[in-house]
Amino acid sequence: MDERVSSGGAYGWFLQRITGLFLAFFLIMHLKVLHLTSQWHLDFTVVTDRLHASNWWAVFYILFVPIAVFHGFNGAWGVIEDYRPGIASGKGIKVFLWVVGILLCIYGYLAINALLRKGA
Amino acid sequence: MYDKKPGIIGHYFHEINRNPNTGTWSWFLHRIAGVVLFLYLFPHFLVTGSYFLTGSTEKFNAWTNFVQTPVFHFLEIFLISAVAFHLLNGLSVTIADFFLMTRKHKAIQWVSIIIFIAVMVLTVVMFVPRVLAH
Repeated sequence: MDERVSSGGAYGWFLQRITGLFLAFFLIMHLKVLHLTSQWHLDFTVVTDRLHASNWWAVFYILFVPIAVFHGFNGAWGVIEDYRPGIASGKGIKVFLWVVGILLCIYGYLAINALLRKGA
Repeated sequence: MYDKKPGIIGHYFHEINRNPNTGTWSWFLHRIAGVVLFLYLFPHFLVTGSYFLTGSTEKFNAWTNFVQTPVFHFLEIFLISAVAFHLLNGLSVTIADFFLMTRKHKAIQWVSIIIFIAVMVLTVVMFVPRVLAH
């Protein structure tokens, strides 16, 4: 009855807070640049001009993508855990979340890389 | 511990009924916002990746234009509210956890709620012209 799939314990809790602190910075920047801005019409030129204006954007997104994806998927696992999955289904869900999360990171890198390189 | 598993939605009513405090509501709203942001990530990656996927600046512009129509700007207000609430509530939880301030958590939470309201007032003011634009 009390047997449950490993939660990842304190690592999951700790990493969720650390990635959350990083995301607080990244998302304030992200909202400031792309949403809460006076120049609010975005198109390909606006986006790529901004990305090419500074090499720091590459660093920004190299960190932002996996940190956001980890935080989202670790959070999703936290939600699923509240419903007390069994050991086998819990493990299956964990593997599924890791695979989808890693694929999403790779896709995110390819997507941002295409925009960073265009016309650079 | 539950005698039996409550339903996916019933779980939340159960928790709120049992402990109807600021903290329970914050937990509930934090979760709603978190799930919304998690689901938002997928269409966002698709739109941002439309240039990578199609190799066409026209397709990229078609998608970014589509998500900048007044309806999407209206929905964007809720997106920003989800980010702002989740971010501020998350910071208040992290401060309470890391600095052993759980006894002061309610006060920290009220500070985050006040900042949240200020951010949302600013957001709505900024978004009125976008929602009304053609």
